[in-house]
Parts: sequence; structure tokens; C-alpha cells
Amino acid sequence: MAAVNRDNEEEVKTDDGSPKIKPRPIVRLGIFLIAHSPVFSVVFSAAGVLALLLLPLLAKNTYISENALMPGSARSMLSNRDVSDGSKLVKDIKNFRLNHEGQGVEVQKLIGKYMSDMGAEVSYQKFHPEGNQFHPLHFFSGPDSYTLLENVSCASYGVNVAGIIRAPRGDGKESIVLVTPYDFINGGDYEDLSLGIVSSLFSLLSRVTWLSKDIIWLVADSRYGDYRPVAAWLTEYHSPSFKVSDLLKCDEQNTADNFRRAGTMAAALVLKVDGRSEKFEDTLSIYAEASNGQMPNLDLINVVNYLAVHRQGFYVKVEKVVSLLSSSWLKIFGEIFEAVGKLAHMLNPDWNFGIPAADYLEGSATLASSLYSQALGIPTGPHGAFRDYQVDAITLKVSPRFPPDSKTRQHDFFLRGARLLEGTIRSVNNLLEKFHQSFFLYMLTSPSKFISVGVYMIAFALLVAPLPMVAASLYIDGCKSLTNSTDNPTENFKSWKWLDAAKQVFTLHLFGFIVTLLPYFICQVPGQHSPTNRSIMWGTTSSSLLLITFVTMPGCSPFSSRLHGTNWAILKSVTISAAFIGLCLMSIINFATAEIGALLLVPTCLMAQPIKPALRSRRLKSLLGAFCSIVLLTIGFPVMFFAISKGLLGEGLVGLSLGGEFWTWLESLWAWKSATYLYIGMVHLPCWLLCLCILFHPS
Amino acid sequence: MAEEQKKKLCRFWIWALSSVAFRLILISFPGNLNLSARPEVSTPLTSIRRLAEGYWLKQASMSPYAGSMYHGSPLLLSVLGPLTVQRIKGQPSHLLCSLVFVIADILSAMLLRGIGQKLQMAYGLNARLLGFLKSSRDKVILPCGDIAALVYLWNPFTIVSCVGLSTSPIENLAVILALFGAVTRRVPLAAFGLVIATHLSLYPATLTIPIIFLLGYGLDAPPIKLFLQTRSVENEETSTSTVSKQAKLKQTTHIPFLWKTVAHFLFWVLLWSLYVLVLCALSLNKYGGLEEMFKRTYGFILSIEDLSPNIGVFWYFFAEVFDFFRNFFLIVFHVNILFMLLPLAIRLKHRPCFLAFIYLAISSILKSYPSVGDSALYLSLWALFVNELIDMKFSFFLFCGYLGISLLSPVMHNLWIWRGTGNANFYFGNAIGYACFQIVFVVESVSAMLNHDRALKRSNSNHR
Repeated sequence: MAAVNRDNEEEVKTDDGSPKIKPRPIVRLGIFLIAHSPVFSVVFSAAGVLALLLLPLLAKNTYISENALMPGSARSMLSNRDVSDGSKLVKDIKNFRLNHEGQGVEVQKLIGKYMSDMGAEVSYQKFHPEGNQFHPLHFFSGPDSYTLLENVSCASYGVNVAGIIRAPRGDGKESIVLVTPYDFINGGDYEDLSLGIVSSLFSLLSRVTWLSKDIIWLVADSRYGDYRPVAAWLTEYHSPSFKVSDLLKCDEQNTADNFRRAGTMAAALVLKVDGRSEKFEDTLSIYAEASNGQMPNLDLINVVNYLAVHRQGFYVKVEKVVSLLSSSWLKIFGEIFEAVGKLAHMLNPDWNFGIPAADYLEGSATLASSLYSQALGIPTGPHGAFRDYQVDAITLKVSPRFPPDSKTRQHDFFLRGARLLEGTIRSVNNLLEKFHQSFFLYMLTSPSKFISVGVYMIAFALLVAPLPMVAASLYIDGCKSLTNSTDNPTENFKSWKWLDAAKQVFTLHLFGFIVTLLPYFICQVPGQHSPTNRSIMWGTTSSSLLLITFVTMPGCSPFSSRLHGTNWAILKSVTISAAFIGLCLMSIINFATAEIGALLLVPTCLMAQPIKPALRSRRLKSLLGAFCSIVLLTIGFPVMFFAISKGLLGEGLVGLSLGGEFWTWLESLWAWKSATYLYIGMVHLPCWLLCLCILFHPS
Repeated sequence: MAEEQKKKLCRFWIWALSSVAFRLILISFPGNLNLSARPEVSTPLTSIRRLAEGYWLKQASMSPYAGSMYHGSPLLLSVLGPLTVQRIKGQPSHLLCSLVFVIADILSAMLLRGIGQKLQMAYGLNARLLGFLKSSRDKVILPCGDIAALVYLWNPFTIVSCVGLSTSPIENLAVILALFGAVTRRVPLAAFGLVIATHLSLYPATLTIPIIFLLGYGLDAPPIKLFLQTRSVENEETSTSTVSKQAKLKQTTHIPFLWKTVAHFLFWVLLWSLYVLVLCALSLNKYGGLEEMFKRTYGFILSIEDLSPNIGVFWYFFAEVFDFFRNFFLIVFHVNILFMLLPLAIRLKHRPCFLAFIYLAISSILKSYPSVGDSALYLSLWALFVNELIDMKFSFFLFCGYLGISLLSPVMHNLWIWRGTGNANFYFGNAIGYACFQIVFVVESVSAMLNHDRALKRSNSNHR
């Protein structure tokens, strides 16, 4: 905002042209920037991209910011007895399952019985695995409790089991949640292990005296995915619906009035055990991204990472894009940065910013994955459901290094897993307030390195800085050419010439808004349709709408033969301003989307210029410019970009199946209420169309 | 020419009606939009929820001001209160109130149109008197009344505050009514509007000065010096306008101030205030009477008791300030508005309507509980001066700024309240940005108006 402010100030000062007042230095700087905007926009954009590549270098080591946490300062109290309790549960479940094939509810009762034997309050909750529906107006509203399905069938429903240990030192107003997703019907051996770890811990926690926050252990019924049962349980926990659900009538087991609560949640840990570790050690993967790129407080990750690495000897990792590890161009960058770092270190031993190329590669692969999952806006695990209620949560996925049926190793594994959880809970238990000390806005480049918002915003700011500059300079140009061309001096609304262009920009944004809402209505079309059909429906309705817009409002059309009022420079200026506002807004909602969007949109907007004069002039430079803008526009079309990124991942798609894939992808976006969907429909698409209008502008 | 006029008129009505239709569509899904809970739309003073609560308290034979929920006028309670409990089956709650607000918006737009037509006539007349406008085809005079009415009806701020069930459409209607009465020289109407507007939200009390100028000196006109310089003035007979009086009396050095009308106006103000006070006293006689009302309405406005976030800048400051200094800063903040009244009145006394616009804009910046409804009012009043302000600078920049800020505000609020990843500074930063844009807007409007006067003077001297 500040940049626009400054630039526009300059713009008017230059308009004014009164010789008496000598402009202030900052004004002169602004004038200088605007006058040389092409050079500066290239410099700034390049610097933005470079800063993005430099980010792994700028990552700082994590540190525990909240002093009250004190991880690892207390000796673990977990004993062999607790672990044998856990082992017993696992054994019982296995035996039970061998004897009773496919009787899910009974397993839940078994777990519930174990919990109550340990002294916990047990409650069962039924939920309906409803499909995610798209409702256009529900974006950004808080978690809603009023989505009650009218007629639910008893055929499919899940049952969550929750046990609560009341803290001896607490007042029942705070709690810590442990979640183990478990498939009661066909859960594998690895899932049993996660139950074993948590039940070992639970056995300990029911005895300890230091607890000041209640502990909730939720065994989520993961028959219908991990996320849905946790979300259903949280909805019931925070905003109970007082209507009697039909589900209650489904079973003889009464679950209606025994739902238990334990105050606000300080933190939540989701534990999953899956697969065998490829490494020599047990591996712990941390998943943290919730919906719309929200992250839990960094301190939570720090505590887990610290305890896992320094106390229990896990190999901790966060997800990374594996294909980037072998990319040669990134390697070259890494080597260059390494060389520069070495050189700087030689010049001044205090300059220690160089990191080895291998570290750089690892860091960028992790960063890319972090950016990707944040930009997608889809939670990477059940912990995402907690973030909607402002609860910090992470998913811990543990992969043991032994096969699941090895009894001897299992004991040791339970001991270490439960100790890790115990230490984390003990730290969180120490907290007097909710997590607030450390960062919420950050990206990880490794489990122990992060980039804070202050650093990564620089890359984005540099990338979008050319937009207001170029907008201001184009605006001045446009105004000048208009005042020269109009012969009638009386009809000189110099200051208001942008209104026509703004009308066009507004119309196309309105069009984008309608296109964004269309899937809602297409989903309402009766009958079963394949994604391909739906995408065809969507495409045809949107393009016919666009045609109608162009026909009814000739000013908007890029193909109208007659020279209409809007000057392309002003149109481009308004377009760029709209793109700037959209990108800045998006950067606050979801940084990663805005960053990737800016990488696409900024060059497209800056390069867009009428193609006709370029063809007429036949100069190499202008032809090259026109070619560049055509290429950028082709890439910038959302479907095209989707296809290209799929192609890069090695899944070539052509023709109609592409439409189907695209539709499915978008469907997943809106089902998760991802703001990226809104961004594509309401910022990217209109700006792309406007650039197309500028490209074919009849000037 | 007449054909074109007719076409324009037709277009105006189409747009006006479509805006009403748009509102009615939006009203039919209030649960989804949830605008009435937005801090930008409803303040503690204008929220309909609080009004419903006050009405409920009153029905339960308690003081409507009990529990610090309601802080509005008792008269509004009697008028709107019954509508808040009326429910039509199958329709969203508060439907009747929404309809009242829509009607208020339509009325405001029509009154604005009336003001604009008067101003447009005066503008044309003055231009002709000064000799710029030889023939009617010489320069296009924009139909500022139509523009202002459409700006009012289609302004997203107005729509949002109308659909979002805040009482600001009614406050705005009262203000516009006062101005309309003054412009059309209906003294009792002007006094009534002023008294009601002041009663509802206190700040329109500053409008007394522009209204007195309007009644005393007549409509907006270029400075009197220009007329004195002009030698050749066509003697046109338009008895209704005061401008012709100015033309006739051009030998004297100043225009006469119509003391009689002003005294008439003051008398009516007194009468209406007495009337309103008596009504209030009657409706509150069981619950503490007028003293309670003044304490709970004006006292609440002036002492800034409610520190819940809004788009103003006061809440943050007074949440931070030490109690010891609180009274001092209360005085400093409120005196800000008063300080600006006199200089502006002296500089802009030849343009009373514009002065009213500036006063409203300033009070909307420095109000204790501002909402977007206040911005909607001054933005549409601004559109009354499109002819004069045609060369206003920064227009595009200001437009982008207002757009960006109004989109950013919900996002920042979401970040702070719902996600918990931001904090109060995020939202307050947005409020500061908004205040800055408003200040730039006011400063640019005033300087554009003064430049316009200067340009008139320059071309006038060239003319001779």
C-alpha cells in the first residue's frame, strides 16, 4: 500500500508541474522510479525471483521461544508396566479381531473398556461421513454447526471413542488432545501400534500427579478418511447441535447424552504409525499444514523435534518434493551459492551465510513442498480440523524400522514413542497461556530450520513492487496521450479518464465471480455426471457468458473493430492495479498462493501490450515482446497451467480427460474451502482475460 | 435534446430501481452474509441487535439502557422496536426492519437528487452570470443530482449498511433531510432534520453552521468578489434564487445576510428540540428520564466506553491509554473536530453545501464509533460537486485505496479473530490506512474546490 501511496503522490506532483515548489527527496525518488519503470520492473522482478531462491540460505535455526515449555527437563516416568499395558491392548485387539470378523463396534467397546479401566471417562460419538459440499458463501465464515443432514441412512456411520483423564491439579478448563485414527473394520497391524503407544501413555497419565490439563484420547474412526471423524468430533465438542440426529436411532447403543468435554484445547497431537522406515532408525514425519496454509505455532513443532531428536533418537523429517533433489539446475544454484558463501567467508570470517550445496538442495525441496501444500490450502492430515478452532495441532507419523509382528522390538518402540508423547504433553502442560510466543507464519526448510514471515515477505514484495510503479507510469502516459488527442478542451475530464477502463475491469471481475460460483449450480444439475461432463458444462456456460458480456458491452470486448474510448495504457494501468490489490490481499490470506500466483501473473501483466502495432512495426524487439506476452498468456490460463504442472510431474494429459482432471482438482479445492479456488476465479482469471483484451486491443 | 434528456431520465430510473431490486435480493439471505455482525457495518450505536435487546428490556418494564446494550435514541426504539419482534413465517427475521432501511435509502437518494438539481441550477446560473456560459451548448453541466443519487444507491458501503441492518440509513436520511430543507429553503424541515440527526448521532450538530450559511447567504456560489469584478451581467429574472439577488446587489461590497430567516430557523430548532425532548422524557419517564438518556447516549459517544474494534482509530488508543490520562485524551480527541470547524467555515462560507460535506467527512474520520454508513453519506454528498471537482487529483489512487482497504478489513479481522494468527495491530493498521485515505480525500476535495475558485477568478480576469 505504501508503495502505491508514494507513487501516486509523485504522479500527481508531476501532473501539477508547478515550478515554485521543489519536490521533496522522496517525491523525486518516486518520480525517478516511475520514469525508469521498465528498468526497475525488470530489476525488481528478477530480485524477487532471486530472493525466493535464496530463501533456503536465509533459514534460521528454530529455538524454543516460550520459556515455560522446558522440554526434556523432567525425567520420564514411563515404566515397563505402562508399556506392557499398551502391549496387552494391542494383543487383545488382535485376538478379538481374529475371533470376530468384521464387528467394528465391538472393538470400540473393547477400547472403551480399557480406557475406563484406566480411570478415564469414556464417551462414544456417532457421526455421519457426509460428503463435502460446496457452498459459495461459506468461505471464511467460522466453523459452522448448522450443516445437519436431513435424512441420513443408518447404513454408513462412524463411531468415535473418546476417553478423558481428569487432571488432579487442573480445574477442568483446559485440555490436551491425543488423536489416533483407527479403522475399526480393517485396521492393519501398524494402526494397532499407534493404539499401543497411546494406551501405554494413557496408563501412565492416569496415575501421575503433575497433570494440570485434562487429557483427551480420541480414537477416531478412520473408515471414512482421517479428517472427517476428527472434524465431526470437534464440531460436536465446540458447537453441539441440539436437534436430535437421526443417527441416534440407528443403534441400540445410546450415545446421545454422554458426550464429554474438558475445556479449551491447548494443543493436539495426532499419532499415526504406518509403513516401515527405509532408514536405519525409526522415522518421525511431522505434518503441520492446515487449511489455507495456516500453520500451528512453531513452538509445538520445536518441542516435538527437540524431544524426538535429542531424547528419543528418532530420525525426524518433514515432507519434501523428491524430484527436486535430483534437479540439475537447482544443484547449479546451490553450488553457486556455496561458492559465493565461501568467498564471502574468505573476505570476512564473520560472514557465514554459505551452506553446502547438498543442504541447499534439501532445504529447497522441503521449502517447495511446504509452499505447495500451503498454496493448495488443503490440510495435510487430521490436525487441520483443529486449526479451524484455533487449536495448535500437528500430525506425527511414525515409521518403525521393524516389521509389525516383532514382539521384542515392539516393546522398545512403544517405550520411545510414548516417552516422546509424554515429554511433549508435559511441556504443553506447563503452559499457562495458549501458544503465542513463537511464529504462526513461517515455512520449514527442515525440521529444525524455518523462514519467518519477515523474510519470505521480502521475496513477494520485490516481486509485486513493479506493479504500482508501472501502473503509475502508464497512467501518466495514458493521461498525457488523452489530453493531446482530445481537441475539445471543454470536455476535459482529465482526472476521470480511468472510469471507462475501471468499468471494463469491474465487468470482467464480475464475470470471474460468476464463473467462480457456477460450479455450485452445476452440482445442482440433477443426474449423475462424470467430472468430464461437468467440466464441459462449466466451460460452455462460462464461455457463452463471456460472449454475452462482449456482445452487450462492446467496450469490454477485445475484438470490437471500432476504436472505443479506452486507451490501452489506462486499461493496463487499471488492470495492474487490480492485480496488485488482489495479490496483496491473497498474500495476507495465504502467502504461498500469492507467491506462486505472482510468479505467473506479474510477468503476464507487465508484458501485456497490443499485438497489432508490434506486427505493423515489424521490429525485432517489439515482435519479441509480443511473442513473450503470447507465451506468458498461454501458460497463464489456469487449465493450461494445470496441464503443464501435471506434465512436469510426469502425467501427460490431453483432451477432455484434462477437463475432468481439472474439475476434480478444483472440486477438492472448494471442498476444503481453499482460498486458492477463490483466487483463481476472482483474481487470476479476470486479470488473465484483461491481459488478453490488452493483447488484442485495436490501437 | 429533449429526447436525450428523456433517455437519460429513463436510464436513471432503471439504475435506481435495479439498485432497490439488488437490495431486496440481498435481504433474502441474511444468514449467509452475516453482515450485521461485522464491526465495519454495525457499531454499538447502530446495531439492530442491540436495538432489539433494548426493545425487549423495555417490554419487560426495564430501562432500555440497562446492561449497557442499547445506546440509541428512545424514539428510534419506539419506531423500529416493534418491527424487530414482528416475524413473518418463512422469512428471515428483521425483514421488516430491512424494508424500512431500504425505504430510507430510497428517500435519501430522492432528496439528494432534489439537492443536486438545485445546486446544478445554481451552478449554471452562476456560470452564466460570470459570463462563461454564453450558450447552453458551451459546456456540459453534469446532472449532479442524478449522479449523487446513483452514487448513494449503488455505493457498496450504503448497500452493506442497509442490508447489514444498521440504523445508519436512518441517520443519513435525517442529515440529508436537513440539507434538503435548507437548500429548498423550507425552514421547519431543515430544523427538523437537524434536530433529529443530532438526536440520533450527535455529530451532525456541526451542520448547524452550514445550514445557517445556506439559509443566510443562499446556495453555493463562487466568491462574491468575482461578481463584483464582473461588469457585464445579464439581468436575468429568477426571483427564487438568491444568486440573482447577489447580481442585483453587486454594487455593495457584501451580500446581505438574511437574519430573519436564520432567526426563524433557530426558533424552529428550539421548537423541534423541545418537542423531541418531551417525547423522549415521556417514553423514559419510568426509567430515569432525560438525564439517563443523555448519559447513556451522548455520554456513551463522548466517553468512548465501548472499546470493541471498529474502523475508527479511537478504540485502539483508548484501550492502551492509562486511566489517569483518559479524560485528558478524551478532550484532545473530541476537540479535534471542533478546532476545524471555524477555519473551514471562514474559508468556505461561500459554499455552504460543500462545507457541510467537509464537516461530515471530518466527523466520520474522527467519530468515536464510525461505520461504513458514514462514509457512504459523505461520498454521495461529494458527488453533488462533480461539476466543480472535475479536476480533482488522486481520484484513481483514492479509488484503489478505498477498494483495497474495504477488502482488506474483513481479511484482517478474520486473521485476528478467527484464525488467531494475527493480532489487534493488523486490524488497527487497516483502520489507520482507512483514516489516511479519508484525510487525503478530504484534503484533495478542498484543494480542488479552492483551485476551481481560483481558476474562475483567473479566467474572469482574462475575460475582461
